Formats: sequence, C-alpha cells, structure tokens
Amino acid sequence: MPLTGRDRVLAALRHETPSATPWVPFTGVHVGKLIGVPADALYRDVEALERGLLEAHGLYEPDGMPAMFDLQLEAEALGCELRWSADSPPVVVTHPLARGGAFPAFDAAAARIPMAVDIVARLVACVGHTTAVYALLCGPFTLASHLRGTELFLDLFDDEPYVHDLLAHTTGVALHMADLYAEVGADVVAVVDPLVSQISPAHFEQFLHAPFARLFERLRSRDTPSSFFVCGDATRNLEAMCRTRPDGISIDENVDLAAAKVVTDEHRIALGGNVPLTTVMLFGSQLDNMRCAVDLLAAVDPRGLIVSPGCDMPYDLPVENVIALGQALRRPAAARASLGHAARTDEAITVELPDYAALARPLLEVFTLDSATCAACTYMLRTALGAGERFGSAIDVVEHRFSERENVARCKALGVSTLPSIYLNGELVYASIIPSREALDARIRQALAGA
Amino acid sequence: MSVLRELSERLQRGQAKEVEALVQQALDEGETPQRILEDGLMQGMGVIGERFKANEVFVPEVLIAARAMHAGIAVLEPHLVSAGVKARGKVVLGTVKGDLHDIGKNLVRMMMEAKGLAVIDLGVDVSAERFVRAATEHDADIVACSALLTTTMTEMRHVVEAAQAQGLRGRVCIMVGGAPVTDAFREAIGADLYAPDASSAADAALAHCAGRAS
Repeated sequence: MPLTGRDRVLAALRHETPSATPWVPFTGVHVGKLIGVPADALYRDVEALERGLLEAHGLYEPDGMPAMFDLQLEAEALGCELRWSADSPPVVVTHPLARGGAFPAFDAAAARIPMAVDIVARLVACVGHTTAVYALLCGPFTLASHLRGTELFLDLFDDEPYVHDLLAHTTGVALHMADLYAEVGADVVAVVDPLVSQISPAHFEQFLHAPFARLFERLRSRDTPSSFFVCGDATRNLEAMCRTRPDGISIDENVDLAAAKVVTDEHRIALGGNVPLTTVMLFGSQLDNMRCAVDLLAAVDPRGLIVSPGCDMPYDLPVENVIALGQALRRPAAARASLGHAARTDEAITVELPDYAALARPLLEVFTLDSATCAACTYMLRTALGAGERFGSAIDVVEHRFSERENVARCKALGVSTLPSIYLNGELVYASIIPSREALDARIRQALAGA
Repeated sequence: MSVLRELSERLQRGQAKEVEALVQQALDEGETPQRILEDGLMQGMGVIGERFKANEVFVPEVLIAARAMHAGIAVLEPHLVSAGVKARGKVVLGTVKGDLHDIGKNLVRMMMEAKGLAVIDLGVDVSAERFVRAATEHDADIVACSALLTTTMTEMRHVVEAAQAQGLRGRVCIMVGGAPVTDAFREAIGADLYAPDASSAADAALAHCAGRAS
C-alpha cells in the first residue's frame, strides 16, 4: 500500500527519512478566505471551520494540517477577554492576574474549548486516514503571559516562587488539553509557545525545562507524537528545547534552518520550518515560492524534516503561492526544470498567442502547474473540461502546463502570474480558487452572447 | 570602581534600588547631572542594547535594566531640568492600528530613551491619523511605527500616506520595524527608515536627529 501523507509526517517525527519530505501548511484562519468566511466568524463556528479545512485539504493536499491555530483558546476559558478581527485570530486584551489574585480554575467545558476538541475529532474523521491531524495547545509560558501580562518577565527576577506556581498551573491546563486532543485521535499534539524565544537559556532551564519535559512525557506515554512550536529567534534555546524531548520542533525564518537541523539531528528530533511567511508566501510570486521550496530541500538532510511556514498563514495569503509551494515540494525536479525554463525563456522560445479578437468561438485556456500532479490544477482543469462537455463545439478548451517549456514562455507572453487560472478569450476570469459550474457557465454564455 | 562605572554595572543587572542610591551618591559627590545621565545610566543601557542585539541578553534582562534606569532618572530628573539638559531629538512611537503587541514597542522606547531621545509613546492600536496628529503637536523628528503581525504591518502604508497628506514628508522621518517588517517592505511603502531590532532603531533614530541638528 502506498504511503500516505500521514505516514510521511509520522516517519519524519520518528526522525526517519520519508519517501518525500512532508508538507504541513499551518493554514490557520486562511481557510476562511477559501470559503469567504471572516476569521472572527470562522473561529466561532465549527461547521464553517470544518468546511474551510476540507476546502484547504482538497486544494493544498497537505501531508499534515492543524485543526485550529488559536493560542487564545485556553486564555479565553481562563477569563482573558479577547478582541476579534475579520482577518486574524483573536488577541488577548485583558490579563486577569495583572495585579495578582488567585489563579483562575480551568473548565474544559468553558468558552470555545469544546469546539476546539470537536474540530480535531471532525478533521480526524474526515481526513485522518491520509493526513496527519495536528492539535495545537498554548504552551505554559505563553499562557502564563496571557494571564499575567508582561509583568511575567519581571517576575522571573522579582518573584521566582510565583513564576513556578503560575507555570505549574498553566502546565496543568496544557496537560488537560493534551489529554483531550489525544483522546479524540489527534495524530500530533503541538505545544505552541512563541514567547520561549524571548528568554535566556538559563531562564529556560530554571523555569521551563520541567513543565515542557512533563508535557512531552505525558504525550509519549499516550503514544501521541509531539511537536514544540516556537516563533522568533530561538537559536539560543534550541538545545534546551531539545532536552525537553519533544518528537519535533518547529521554527520560523528567524532561525537558520540548516544550523538548527544540526542541533535537532544530534538529539534525533524532527525539525519543521521555515518558509518565510512575509517575504515569500505573502509578498512573493509563485516562482519565488517554488524557488524557496527547491532551495530549502537542497539545504538540509531530509531525515526528520517537515516543511512548514514559519508560523500560521495570514488570512489573505495568496492561494496560488501555497499551491506552488506544495507542488514544488512534491515534484522538486519538475519545479527545478520550470524555474530553469523561466530563467531562460526570453532568449530560448517565443510563442505566438492566438488573435483573441478574431476567434471563431470562445476559447477557454486553463493554465496549470501540472494537472497530473497538482490537486488545485486538476480541479481547475476538470471544471473547464466540464464546461467543454456542456457547451460542446460552441467553445474550445485547452490546457497549458507550466511544467512544459513552451508554456513558461506562453505565460510570460500573456502576463499569467497565477497558476492555476482560467482565461476566457485572453482575459483572466478565475485565479487560484476554482469557480462553481454555474459561475463558469454564466461567463461562457456571456462570451457567446457577445461573440 | 568609580561611582559612574558602578552605576552602569548595577543598571545592567537591573538593581533599581542600588541605581537610585548611586545616582544620589554621584550627585552628592559633585558629578554633573549630564555626566551621570550619559556616562552612568545611558552607558549601562547602551551595553544592554548591544548585548540584546547580539542575542546575549533577552527581553526580561532588558526590562529590568530599563526599570533600573527609570528609577535612576526619577532621582536625576529635577537636576537635569535645572541644568537645562535637553533631549537629543523627539520621537512619536506606537504600535499600528489593529495590533495590540507592545513588548517590541516598549523595548524600542527604552532603547531610544537610553540614547537621550524624548519619546512620546502613543501605546498600541494607534491609527495613522493619531500618529500624524501627535507628530504635528509635538513637532517630532521621527514617527516610529511597530507591528508584530503580517496582517497589521500593511497599516504602516497608511501612516506614510497620512504624513504625505498633511505635508509632513521631508519634515518628519517615518521609521518602521517589528518581526515581519523588512527593508524591502519599508521601500515598498515609501517609509524612510527600517530597523531590525530595538537597539538598531535607537541608533538609527539618534543618527537621524544628529544629522538634522548639524
């Protein structure tokens, strides 16, 4: 039986070399964009979230994916007030322990905790046979800072016993969440603690080693693989993080991936990372994303490697960039060839475009990375071919694959910057997101009426 | 050990009470307020800034050092005023609209204050209009915008546009920074300065103000 994406993720977390490097996009609230639901509605509506996740699963074909990326869930259940926005996860605005007081008790039935557990269970049921489902919990240090505010940093010097007590409390919450997620079948429980990068290795050893070691030990005893997610420049703390014995560590672009891999390999711990979210995924082109994937794979030993964005993907991240990145990771040789063609196309090939103003009938052109291997491209092409069947000889439908040299030049000549996309009579009509049959048919009827 | 050197070292260790006492001792021994500020307090905070930039100390160490510096400045302030010591420049600082993160912004403020710059801290979730209004009201040299989120950094473009609309470009320098911000992004939105960390932000701000003064 062929290996699934889930198999590849789990193999990497055992520090083995999977058949292909697993791709785990941290889709976060971005899945809302795919179904037209804003972030503040998405993360309060389990039905919408499930739809968004399944849409992302179909479009991006990930080897693993997180159910939610919301580090405020536990804080909210503990009494922190949140501010919601349409294009990002909520943020904590009040800290119940800012002026001291008793630690708030954790209730697993409070706020959105039941929803967070439910969506993991739903995702496992829908895609868990092929895809590793990640359940994310807020790490004890970041949760402590949600409760206490930035005073926590001063407490490290001013009141060490208080910090130990508070961390014992937040670690209890994290253990509870880990148990809940493991019980509903999460393949990987990730402990996400971005603030870890902001303290010294000495403080990490003094305050955080025991809580994190305890968490990862609990998950190991349940046979649930674990990962330790950090944001920011955590270079100095990587060694200390490894000593808490997670199965994997995930870093962002502030850490040098190759240097970090040397450290994690010594501990036989998997490393996830670290496609730059801003410069490449958010503001780069599809070619930039393909190049990033190819370079990343060339830079490090594939043993125990998982490719992920540095952090959760912004709501408005260009869909086509995620598609290109995933495709290049799945077919690195083809991506290298396309990048080579793109670099040479000016002098190598010229393409004659159709005379769009004088077409005998409407021409539907589908530009794909490669419809044989890229799910989003397959769906886009299938939609266009469906129209071809419905409209018969009244229209023409053709596919242009970017994996072929001539089509790299064709894309350039027509100014195609997004793949997959559909052009009707030389005009872009759909990019990245696959249109409904009704919408596409309406556009074609419009073109026929105008012809 | 001289009192100013000890002052610097105690500040680097975040020992606020000792810093207060040493500032008073230096005053009693006849040191000028300016020398206590520059060779004691600012020197110590400068060392912390450099070590922070080099990833040798972390946020908690910077915060306790800054707390010690503020304790020292509280003792020194009346003497600075009577001695006529002036700020080296004026910066309007804030985290942009929609973004509530303040640790990075606070670090920038501390580093800038440690360089002798006056900082008008507008806090978090600051609209482009508030940045520009404060810059005009305080006759600021620099508007410094911080963002931690990829979703909020785009707000910085509005600050540049608002400054342009109010005719402040050329008069006020727009500085941007924060985890997702890059120099390429600064260029794309037409801001003037980018700094990769708090210490560099303070250096760049001071260099800009010194350039204007000369």
